[in-house]
Amino acid sequence: MLTRITYALRETWASFKRNVTLSAASIVTAAVALLLAGSTLLIQKAFSNLLIQWQGGVEMIVFMKAGTSPEQIASVKQEIVDAGVAAPDGISTLDQQQTYDQAKVVLAGQTTLLNALSPTSMYSEIRVTPAKGQQDRLPDLKTQIEIEPNVSKVGLATDAILVYRRLSSFVRGVTIVLSSVLLMVAVLLIWNTIRTAMFARRREIEVMKLVGATNWFIRIPFMLEGLLQGLIGSVVSCIGLVAANSLWTNNLNGIAHDTKSSETISLLALRVDSGYLQGIMVIVVIIGMAAGAIGAGVAASRFLDV
Amino acid sequence: MIRLDNVTKQYTTEVTAVRDASFDIPKGEFVFLVGASGSGKSTLLRLLNRQERPERGSVFVAGQDLNAMADSKVPFLRRNIGNIFQDYKLLLNKTVFENVAFTLEVIGRPNHVIKQQVPAVLELVQLHGKEDRFPHQLSGGEQQRVSIARAFVNRPLIMLADEPTGNLDPSTGEGIMRLLDRINKTGTTVVMATHDQRIVNMMRRRVIQLDRGVIIRDQVRGVYE
Ligand SMILES: Nc1ncnc2c1ncn2[C@@H]1O[C@H](COP(=O)(O)OP(=O)(O)O)[C@@H](O)[C@H]1O
Ligand SMILES: [Mg+2]
Repeated sequence: MLTRITYALRETWASFKRNVTLSAASIVTAAVALLLAGSTLLIQKAFSNLLIQWQGGVEMIVFMKAGTSPEQIASVKQEIVDAGVAAPDGISTLDQQQTYDQAKVVLAGQTTLLNALSPTSMYSEIRVTPAKGQQDRLPDLKTQIEIEPNVSKVGLATDAILVYRRLSSFVRGVTIVLSSVLLMVAVLLIWNTIRTAMFARRREIEVMKLVGATNWFIRIPFMLEGLLQGLIGSVVSCIGLVAANSLWTNNLNGIAHDTKSSETISLLALRVDSGYLQGIMVIVVIIGMAAGAIGAGVAASRFLDV
Repeated sequence: MIRLDNVTKQYTTEVTAVRDASFDIPKGEFVFLVGASGSGKSTLLRLLNRQERPERGSVFVAGQDLNAMADSKVPFLRRNIGNIFQDYKLLLNKTVFENVAFTLEVIGRPNHVIKQQVPAVLELVQLHGKEDRFPHQLSGGEQQRVSIARAFVNRPLIMLADEPTGNLDPSTGEGIMRLLDRINKTGTTVVMATHDQRIVNMMRRRVIQLDRGVIIRDQVRGVYE
């Protein structure tokens, strides 16, 4: 067993050194692909923090004062349904606990702001997704609802939010496509590295097969090589992700500090907390190693016809 | 030990390398496969360690039907078969010791076994003292001895030799034959492809002659022609 392990590690390292340039190309491509994939997740998270209230096509939010009873909320909801702007299943209500939980997500890490809040101090919300073609009637509905008792204010999705929403799905689409393409290129490069490595060792492989080495025994050093390339690539991309995220966070904190306006909260919502970032990095490393090892393993099997 | 029943091997529809071949080789026998170049000798040897599979007929080696054998079992079959070749197939970046140890290493033998068996087999092929040389520092005959050591270190039941004297001068070739004879006397079955008349006539062993893939003679204590 020990002989096998030392054999596999020695061969992996020797082959890795022999193919430095090709390995470097695979690693850099893998790193860029994974960095893009990771950034996609970060950007998506930032946007979804910002748009959390406006998810699912919501275009109007009625904020009900703290302490409003469920019956009073239901009656406002009924009024919206009666106006014919939205179907009942296009209207959702969030009680104070739910809006508090959401604030915790948006303000993650912002302890002073969070400490000032409690479930009893929160608004309840009625979120309205208008029926098709009814968007234009929202401003009128807003003036009608605003004067109801217990209604604190009524927010309409601003043009900015509508733009963010479309932008976010566009950016997501583009980065997903780009990072999948790059990841495919990385796997192809790893494939090619392995093929070259196997060609360099074809005589050795021929002898190994003749003296009865199992295919797994022959394949494993190559798979380890692919795994190593994927691992290094993903670690590099993780460093990039941490750097990008801290730049981003510092920037937002700086802007928030300078403006001190009511927009601060929504700006700070664009930050991504470090727990989420760590989750992304774990995913990135797993994808990198799996893609490297599987790509190399498939390549090795392909060129290892018994 | 080895049995072929009506074996036919076709590479393409035009090229039939072995046609309807049948023979039986008992354990411990020494057999020459003779015939002109292209008559199918190497193909026959490759059928015995399942580097090739026949289109028709069955091949039995060490009691196992190679047609029915799963791919995953083939490595274990090959651990019972030593192979030597005209061009030695040594690994040029490894020393004599490492070339021989390689066989044991890749089938997962522990280090202490390697340290004990490699010197023993190098002694047998009379290469003691040359363990640390690289193949390019050896004569052709010595290189062939290394390859025999590598094939024999795991004590296989069968040795397959494909023109092992093809690149050697007559007296060196005779030395290799003496070595194969000694290995045969330990009970190892030896099948050797050759078109070296002199050696076949000198050894006086069983001769199977091929002509364009067909067995045209199978003779105990035969000569080349
Ligand atoms: N891998 C192969 N693909 C196609 N034809 C082959 C292959 N190997 C050998 N042949 C053909 O099969 C015939 C027998 O070859 P071979 O077994 O090498 O004969 P020998 O060893 O007696 O010289 C020849 O006609 C040769 O050209
Ligand atoms: Mg031949």
